[in-house]
Amino acid sequence: MRGRLLVRKVLWSVVTVMVVITFNFFLFRVLPGDPAKAGVRDPRLSPAAVEAARIRFGLDKPVFLNTEGGSLFDSQYFHYLQALSEGDLGTSYAFNNRAVTSLIGNALRNTVWLVLPAQILSIGAGVALGLWAAYRRGTKIDVGALTFSLFMWALPTFFLGILLLFFGSRYLGFPSAGRVTIGANYANAFEQFWDIARHLFLPTLTFTLVLLGEYMLVMRSSVVEVFGEDYIQTAKAKGLSVFEIIRKHAFRNAMLPIVTLIALNLGFTVSGAIQVETVFSWPGLGKLTVDAVSQRDYPVLQGAFLLLAISVIAANLVAELLYLRLDPRVTEV
Amino acid sequence: MNFGRKLWAHRLGRIGVIMLGVSVVLAIFAPVLAPYDPEENIRPTIDDIYAGPSSEHPLGTDDAGYDVLSLLIYGSRVSLVVGFAGAIIALFIGGLIGLVAGFRGGKLGNGLMRFTDFFLVIPDLALQIVIVAIIGQSLQNIILVIGALGWTTTARLVRAQTLSVRERKFVTRARAVGGSDFYILRRHVFPQVLPLMLANTVLTVSLAILAESTLAFIGLGDPTVVSWGQMLNFAFNRGAVSAGAWWALITPGFAIVWVVLGVTLVGNALEDIVNPRQGRHHLEPEPIPRVVPLVGAAPTSALAMRNLVVEFVGADGTRSRAVDDVTFEVDKGEALGLVGESGCGKTTTMLAALRLLPPGGEIADGSVYLHGENVLALDEDSLRETRWTRMALVFQGAMNALNPVRSVQDQIVEAIRAHADIGQAEARVRAIELLELVGIDGDRGSEYPHQFSGGMRQRAMIALALACDPEVIVADEPTTALDVMIQAQVMELLDRLRRQLGMGMVLITHDLALVAETCDRVVVMYGGIVAEQGPVTEVFAAPKHPYTKLLLEAFPDLEEPERPLISIPGSPPRLDQLPPGCRFAPRCPYAFDRCHVEKPPAYPIGDRWEAACFLLDLPVGAALG
Repeated sequence: MRGRLLVRKVLWSVVTVMVVITFNFFLFRVLPGDPAKAGVRDPRLSPAAVEAARIRFGLDKPVFLNTEGGSLFDSQYFHYLQALSEGDLGTSYAFNNRAVTSLIGNALRNTVWLVLPAQILSIGAGVALGLWAAYRRGTKIDVGALTFSLFMWALPTFFLGILLLFFGSRYLGFPSAGRVTIGANYANAFEQFWDIARHLFLPTLTFTLVLLGEYMLVMRSSVVEVFGEDYIQTAKAKGLSVFEIIRKHAFRNAMLPIVTLIALNLGFTVSGAIQVETVFSWPGLGKLTVDAVSQRDYPVLQGAFLLLAISVIAANLVAELLYLRLDPRVTEV
Repeated sequence: MNFGRKLWAHRLGRIGVIMLGVSVVLAIFAPVLAPYDPEENIRPTIDDIYAGPSSEHPLGTDDAGYDVLSLLIYGSRVSLVVGFAGAIIALFIGGLIGLVAGFRGGKLGNGLMRFTDFFLVIPDLALQIVIVAIIGQSLQNIILVIGALGWTTTARLVRAQTLSVRERKFVTRARAVGGSDFYILRRHVFPQVLPLMLANTVLTVSLAILAESTLAFIGLGDPTVVSWGQMLNFAFNRGAVSAGAWWALITPGFAIVWVVLGVTLVGNALEDIVNPRQGRHHLEPEPIPRVVPLVGAAPTSALAMRNLVVEFVGADGTRSRAVDDVTFEVDKGEALGLVGESGCGKTTTMLAALRLLPPGGEIADGSVYLHGENVLALDEDSLRETRWTRMALVFQGAMNALNPVRSVQDQIVEAIRAHADIGQAEARVRAIELLELVGIDGDRGSEYPHQFSGGMRQRAMIALALACDPEVIVADEPTTALDVMIQAQVMELLDRLRRQLGMGMVLITHDLALVAETCDRVVVMYGGIVAEQGPVTEVFAAPKHPYTKLLLEAFPDLEEPERPLISIPGSPPRLDQLPPGCRFAPRCPYAFDRCHVEKPPAYPIGDRWEAACFLLDLPVGAALG
């Protein structure tokens, strides 16, 4: 029964990815302004050159199904799918006609460098602090944790970034932008690493604080609820110490909503990455997206959006599978 | 409106309302309140750019020489308009989808939820950016995009609430008399869903405000209006950091924080009002119980309660007595029935014996002796040692008393190893033995509680209670929620094990027949006090307390099937409204003047038989007829 459930979850994710791909394709073609043509709209081009470019980008073909003779699938949509299956996301309008795949690949690596440490730090600290606040419910520690979470919620991520950047770069000497010091010559690998680490510090701190508020709040309410369950009373009656009760009975049960949250939050993480990367000029996917918007570089925007959406769907799937492992009760969707 | 008054009474809610109120006033009266007009054409000199705070410009000027304070005041308009308009759109879409999905269910409902799930996994800021970039960055488009993408949580919430309302009596009744779907939705479902939606609205508003400012900061705001996000965008990208112009950089951010914080405080307060949560739990520090010095010799029985008083402390500090002056004993090998209507303090008394009272409960007076040792005088470590070895409990509702995500056998092993210094493997063998003892196939020990039937769970709970060879076992309504055949099996099992292992037993139950069958002695509790206690056969044959007598009359008797059943009118007293005299007096057909003013003491009747009733103080012959 659980095996079938697993298959269904995987299938559902595959279907979602297909829908996202299709949605993404039409979004850029059907909406007003026909943005896909923007790349060949340079007024200096002769009509013949425009036509040649249209053919090169495949824009002369029908959008979805080819009903004008020839193969039914000789259309923009199916060519897009085919290119996609080969890992080809087209060429950028703005970045010297570079392949979108390679642009996105580099950016993704940088984003992972930023997001992963922040996620690990905030999950670790959020879970621990949330547990502590719940255990000491109603005390000053709890009130402090709640107040912190409330402020982190009300503080836009980009503004927290600006605050940290303003004070960190003016008074603490942290670099204010980029991934490395431009034009730096490194004597050894350690120096290079140190330079990158210094650049990573403020963006990671921003990201960690924002995520921390959220994780702590959810962990706290989850733990308070679990601590109120009857089986906690049973564990206490059995003569277990508070530490044992938390470790063996409360922690795993309280982690269930956190797992879901972390997955659902990946959308939130993406939005955080966009903001943090914009503020700190960190050359990741978020900054690439924003740059693509300002230059109306649709192939890059389309590719970046696709990658962001697929990573969130994949992360969701991982979380659901993890949930399935953690909770033996789940037998249906 | 009542809702508004409650919100005002909520401390943080009131602060939120004030914060939000200030913003609304600023937005409405911006032209009057702002010292400068942001539309006005100015010709800044180099000194006007990023000029620091001065009497002329209290919050300085921005990169174009405009007055920051005036821009801030005007900026509140955009934030509030986008926040509320976006939220209304989101609420409308989400509410509609949630209501239909929850009310209709079936294929349509499933399809709608799939649709919602799809939007839930799409990163919303990324999608907002893409769409605004394509359709153009006017204020109207921004509102539409924020609204059209912000409805998913509302839809899920409304659906869940609708589902639960749909099954309630008044809805099924309305359907039975032929109400149309639309009528039922409008008259019966919607009013139930509305309060929850209202609290959710507020969350949606704050999300919309944050989304607008983020889009504007990224450069996708409406260039024709002043907004806080845009002020930040301009300042940040036009050298405010290197110029050290904190006023241009920091004030718009704090304006956003101010509004979002205000909205969120109102939202949290509304949620508190709609859906009050107690939030207290079992691991809160227990107040240190008062140790009453022992008078005379220490009790030798397995369990002895001496003048136990338990109080519950409410959130406002009011105390109510749930258990008052309860005294009784259980010997090793003896079975005691603890009976009385619901809410008479039976379970509370027994939980107090192991200091396991739910949060808010306090042992205010008296003592509990287990094997001659005062439980209330034990330190944390000895208390843990005492629990489960001297006395163990079969909790009411085994479903919730067992941890759903750990195997049954694991939970027994854990109890064994908490008290005996033995290895995992050895403890597992013992756990399987215990499961077999209660008639569960040992191979099934590795299964989880939800895989067991109700009767099996109850038996597993009994096996768990036997894990450390307790001297006394407390069975709290061990057979409720089980069918009659299983009930008999479980009771037979308990009785057999008790005799086999020579344990004392306290059986908490409503079922007097069960007590007559299995118990040696009975304690009748009413409103937190012991009304009568004594040997079962004698008490049941000739009850001395009117409450015992009425309880017996309310119960069918196999030997006298013709006897009419008489229920006791009224219900037990609320703990916060205890009568001044005898607690049963308001419902007692025999009550006289003295019963209403004075508390009756326990009058001895025979060997370990007593009753707390003034009838026993009257001249001989006036007792119960």
